[in-house]
Amino acid sequence: MSILEPMVPTVLSVRRIPAAHPDLLRSYGADPARHASLGLVTCDQDDPTYVALDEATKHARVDVVFARSFYAGSAHASGRLSGEILGVLAAADPDEVDEGLRALVRCLEHDACFYRADDAGTVAVFPHVIASLGHYLSREAGLAPGASMAYLVAPPLEATYALDAALKAADVTAAKIFPPPSETNFASAWLAGELPACEAAAAAYAEAVVEVARRPRVDRSER
Amino acid sequence: MSQTRALVAALRAKLGAADPLPPPGPAAKIPAPPHRVFPVKHVPGSYAEKAARHTTALVGIGHVGTRYATDVVLQFQAELAVAHEAVDTVLPESWAASQGLLPLQSRVRSHREFLLRPDRGRRLDEASLALLRARADKGVDVQPILADGLSAVACMGSGLELVRCFSDACRARGLTVGTPMCARFARVWLEDEIGAEVRARVAAILLGERPGLGTGDGLSAYLVFEPRVGKTDGDRNMMSNIHARGTPPPEAGVRLATLAAAMLAQQTSGVALDLAPLASELGDAASRKPRAPQRRVRLVEVKR
Repeated sequence: MSILEPMVPTVLSVRRIPAAHPDLLRSYGADPARHASLGLVTCDQDDPTYVALDEATKHARVDVVFARSFYAGSAHASGRLSGEILGVLAAADPDEVDEGLRALVRCLEHDACFYRADDAGTVAVFPHVIASLGHYLSREAGLAPGASMAYLVAPPLEATYALDAALKAADVTAAKIFPPPSETNFASAWLAGELPACEAAAAAYAEAVVEVARRPRVDRSER
Repeated sequence: MSQTRALVAALRAKLGAADPLPPPGPAAKIPAPPHRVFPVKHVPGSYAEKAARHTTALVGIGHVGTRYATDVVLQFQAELAVAHEAVDTVLPESWAASQGLLPLQSRVRSHREFLLRPDRGRRLDEASLALLRARADKGVDVQPILADGLSAVACMGSGLELVRCFSDACRARGLTVGTPMCARFARVWLEDEIGAEVRARVAAILLGERPGLGTGDGLSAYLVFEPRVGKTDGDRNMMSNIHARGTPPPEAGVRLATLAAAMLAQQTSGVALDLAPLASELGDAASRKPRAPQRRVRLVEVKR
């Protein structure tokens, strides 16, 4: 194996609730007045799933009412099917939920994924570019739907070092920065800008993570 | 491929981690196709070339690609037309009498019937039979019969000359020759009935042969010993291709007389006739050597 190969996420479990109980709807953030059906999914990679949930809102009239990562990631999951995230789609009818789930799974299988930052696959990086935001991430990031965004995730030091490189590489602004630790002990950032700028930033981010993975310790200035 | 995957793949390539396959080598040099494929230059084998010189048959005519050359096709069509024309020609009813021959006719009444009913062409009609009984010499050694057969053109062409040469050659051998006669709409086996009527010891019918390509004027001769109705082809000796480009009539007349004399001497004909003693008399015909070089008569000339 070599660097920057995709680590394709595994969708662990999928369920649909055609007519959910109002109490359940309310407790997971849905509005019983607008939502009747729920779609549930767990996956072994959380950040690709956030992207895939957002993707679902572009393909169906669904809302992402709940999406939470689990502590310490999928290597320390509560069960075989827990993974590291539970995502919940809500819609007015089950067909919309089905359509949303199809888009979500398609995105996880063919698009969003972590990449190996070193040969052994012990360092992962998520330099994802979203060309056009859906309702979910645009609301979370405070950006307009349809805007471009670079969704960048890496382990703590790598993420910090690479974020600096990404911000300097292109004309982008930080929409949100999540310093470590996240629930899964990663660090992430959402950068806004034109699509080419987002792509340049993501490439610089991935390159920087690879560089750290190759030479973890640079103890003194090399000047 | 998704946008981000393409982006990362490009980055991999930039970092030198992409594509485990070695770079492709230089392309092999492909020679240019030949400028022209057809026609292939025709180089006949020496054997075929030599053999073709000894026949007028359609061999050694070459080809252009997968087809015949234009002049070969035109020549073929012209020769086929000559053959058709010869088959279609009808011997005029008055021709035999005008040439001083005893005019006979088979039971056939029309040219179409002649082509479709060979059996009727093998027997004389009543009028001819009466004429034959009244006018023909009887008890002769050889009875020559000129006939139209399948080519009236040949009959009217060199037919008379062949009859004369044959008769002269027979007389030269001391044989008696019957009254010269000409049969219309005749098939080969008509000689059986005529020969039997005149009590000839050998009957010889000389008739136009089935036209081939370019030879509408060929004559054949069929000789039979002790002719009578019921003789088969196994009882006959024949000679074909009697025309200017094959065996010329004077030469053919001599050979036929030799054959007739042999029949009288051996008292048989056909398969039973032993031709071995005749080799010296038949000359070229008995030889096993190739024929003298032949030349095709060109009916069509193509300007090159």
